[in-house]
Amino acid sequence: MNSSIIRYILGQVLKIEGILMLLPCLVALIYQESVGFYYLVTALLCMILGFLMTFKKPSDFVFYLKEGCVTTTLSWAVMSFFGAIPFWASGEIPSLTDALFETVSGFTTTGASILSDVEALSHCSLMWRSFTHWIGGMGVLVFLLAVIPMTGGSHMNLMRAESPGPSVGKLVPKIKSTARILYLIYFGLTVIQCILLLCGGMTLFDSLATSFGTAGTGGFGIKNESIGGYSPYIQWVVTIFMILFGLNFNAYYLILFHQFKKAISMEEVRCYFLVILASIAIICVDIRNYYESFSEVLRHAAFQVGSLITTTGFSTTNFSLWPQTSKTILVLIMFIGACAGSTGGGIKVSRFVVLFKTVAKELDSYIHPKSIKKIKMDGKPVEHEVLRSINVYFITFITVFVVSLLIVSFDGHELVTNFTAVTATINNIGPGLNMVGPTENFGFFSNLSKYVFIIDMLAGRLELFPLLIFFHPAVWQDLFKSKFGKKRR
Amino acid sequence: MFQNKNKAPKGLNIIIVGYGKVGSALIEQLSQEGHDITLIDTNSVKVQAATNLYDIMGITGNGASYSVQMEAGVEAADLLIAVTPSDELNLLCCTIARRVADCAAIARVRTPDYSKEVGYLRDKLGLAMIINPELEAAKEASRILAMPTALEVNPFAHGQAEMINYKVPKDSILNGLTVMNLHKHITCNILICAVERDKEVHIPSGTFTIQEGDVISFVATRKIARKFMQEIGVSTHKVKDTMIIGGGKASYYLANQLLLMGVDVKIIESDRKRCEELSILLPKAIIINGDGTDEELLSEEGIEYVESFVPLTGIDEENIMLTLHAKQVSNAKIITKINHINFKNVIDQLDLGSLIYPRYITSEAIIAYVRAKKDSMDSNIETLYHLFDHRAEAIEFRIDEKSEVTDISLADLPLKKNLLISFINRDGNIIIPSGNDCIKVGDTVMVVTTHTGFHDIRDILR
Repeated sequence: MNSSIIRYILGQVLKIEGILMLLPCLVALIYQESVGFYYLVTALLCMILGFLMTFKKPSDFVFYLKEGCVTTTLSWAVMSFFGAIPFWASGEIPSLTDALFETVSGFTTTGASILSDVEALSHCSLMWRSFTHWIGGMGVLVFLLAVIPMTGGSHMNLMRAESPGPSVGKLVPKIKSTARILYLIYFGLTVIQCILLLCGGMTLFDSLATSFGTAGTGGFGIKNESIGGYSPYIQWVVTIFMILFGLNFNAYYLILFHQFKKAISMEEVRCYFLVILASIAIICVDIRNYYESFSEVLRHAAFQVGSLITTTGFSTTNFSLWPQTSKTILVLIMFIGACAGSTGGGIKVSRFVVLFKTVAKELDSYIHPKSIKKIKMDGKPVEHEVLRSINVYFITFITVFVVSLLIVSFDGHELVTNFTAVTATINNIGPGLNMVGPTENFGFFSNLSKYVFIIDMLAGRLELFPLLIFFHPAVWQDLFKSKFGKKRR
Repeated sequence: MFQNKNKAPKGLNIIIVGYGKVGSALIEQLSQEGHDITLIDTNSVKVQAATNLYDIMGITGNGASYSVQMEAGVEAADLLIAVTPSDELNLLCCTIARRVADCAAIARVRTPDYSKEVGYLRDKLGLAMIINPELEAAKEASRILAMPTALEVNPFAHGQAEMINYKVPKDSILNGLTVMNLHKHITCNILICAVERDKEVHIPSGTFTIQEGDVISFVATRKIARKFMQEIGVSTHKVKDTMIIGGGKASYYLANQLLLMGVDVKIIESDRKRCEELSILLPKAIIINGDGTDEELLSEEGIEYVESFVPLTGIDEENIMLTLHAKQVSNAKIITKINHINFKNVIDQLDLGSLIYPRYITSEAIIAYVRAKKDSMDSNIETLYHLFDHRAEAIEFRIDEKSEVTDISLADLPLKKNLLISFINRDGNIIIPSGNDCIKVGDTVMVVTTHTGFHDIRDILR
């Protein structure tokens, strides 16, 4: 294992985090908050550490998939740790575990909180909370690829480890340009949303925080009742943008280059909208008597569906009180998640499309045992490797889910709470049902459970394997042994 | 990989069809120079491997298909290079690309059937270039056989000058001479432009001392080079006969060239049918039907007595073994063709003598074209050679317009370090420049440098 390059990239990540942390400092300056001091100190600490770590350039730039996975996971761990320091040091979140939970929840765009009163937080902490969503949404390593000059193709392994989706491709030949285009789309959409929210009468602070939360499909609200207190116009804007950010970014790239037809004919995009529309329709019928007018029913249904399928986790109403069918549908779409190549979490629409096609193929082979049929996606055959990885992913997902559920059950809470709590963290959603419903929080769980949730959130964001590779003994051996056994030239 | 060498801030859009030997050599070089590369290959495993290794985009599919080319973005491409194993497919790829979009196209065409029609094909199909690595490899081999004491001979200025690599043997009079003193001992005007010593490449200054075991490369016209070699006491006669193992395309081209030069050629080929074809194509050559790796057969055909020996089988390991065997049993000049194996340090240690890498010959020609295309300003690259495994480059620039470098004596030009202007070709006369000479419009100028990525003559300035 090439530990020097891992150190180097971690240093770069720290530098970037230090720079990004200047945003809450700015907010503190505007609102005259003393908490900003802790952000400034942490930012400086990150930059100094980052500078020290990148001072010596690595001797060797060889970079394989395992390095990519290890670097990605370590970057996220390091980022979360330093991101948690201001919360903890300033005393706004007194327990370190809670501070870590909150930051990991931010970076992984989960949006699950341990805070019972969000509005008590200072403005700069609120901004930092929401900003972590925005950073984590597209991924900090993708950002690194966009800004730092790199040649050679092996750090495709970095992007592969961080970006969601079964098979990560490039939009253009150079990884740097790809990363830039992705960030450009991301940034552009965020700005548009922000402007639209401002038009709806939101303050600049609120609209920025809300846009960050939507863009990263995060879901940290800055109000105790999330988006519920805002006007219907703002709720609709947020609904639409949540759904847009859950879309495969390749589609935006195609639209940018005037290939609109190709963009809407992507199978994943179609399925995504199909699931959304079907869910909204069923829920509308189910909750028709809960609200006064149809427009209200439609708005709440659309908002909740958009929020949960894209794994954002905003809410406009307490859906814990909805009838059983609606709640079941909401839990189901939590698992489906957003499109691959978006900022959302979950298992991903494309994986489900392929899984269902595999099942159909299996059924076919019972009727015609000797038939040969290749599974296709967007008219192209899906490689066996991809199929295998999707199947393995699904099994691994369930295993991690079950193990987490078991450990969390030691706390003695009821099943629906535990089940949806694990669902909400591993799929990076945020709120669940009952005791972890949209108006509740995760504060009451034991520390053990909180660490399980932290791991679940990271595992869900990084799509399991970059994290799970740390359970392979070879990685640890490699990390500590790599200095030896290499012939000096 | 984090190198901050922004050599080419904005690269060309290049589509490469076929990920084989040449394709991979091209991708390696071109992606390093900062171009946007899209690879098309039918084999998805190969595409996957390539995209893991280099910063490029890969597409699985048939490169000659219109839809695949569109997917690869042929409309926005500047250049399409077709290097699949099939000549016809290459030509078809290029033809379609020319029809669909306004991009230049380069095809690799190897079959002797087409080799005589290259010019016609290129003009009619509107291609930028047709390359034939086997023919180029054969040409290079024949140049070396014309001067067997050289390790490598590359032509410049349309063949008017040659760049010759020569390994200084133990008892050579060059031992211990400084470059400055060279002219006191030797009457003819040559310029040593690069020296490889202990795997380091030096661009020698006047005080540089030549030692035993150095590989020197110098530039001169063919006549003067010959005279120089005679003066330092080595024979310059071309070989009288040669033994070629394997009867592939490269063997045919080489035999053809050598027969024209009046060299006796003996080809050993195991496939009887191919032997018969060769005997029709090359009536003057001796065609032996037998296993070229059979020691008995080689002795019987007189490997001990031939003046040169060229193993050209399709298998690199066989070629290397044959070379090592020939080195033991005879004093013949040996040229080894290496198709795809990499282990460069191992090959270097074996001390095989002259080596030919067809894939590099091809990629050099294409890269020279790409660099020249990239830059439509006043200077242009005429030829480009990699010296000493890509550690130095010899580039010939054509000077079409006035610029900062013209009409100023070389001594006054603020040149970069590790760089040498090795000759100026003015109206067909080769000038080995001194400090008083200057570059003029209409010249072609050859620059040898350990810097890489020069696009323009002005890159030589600091």
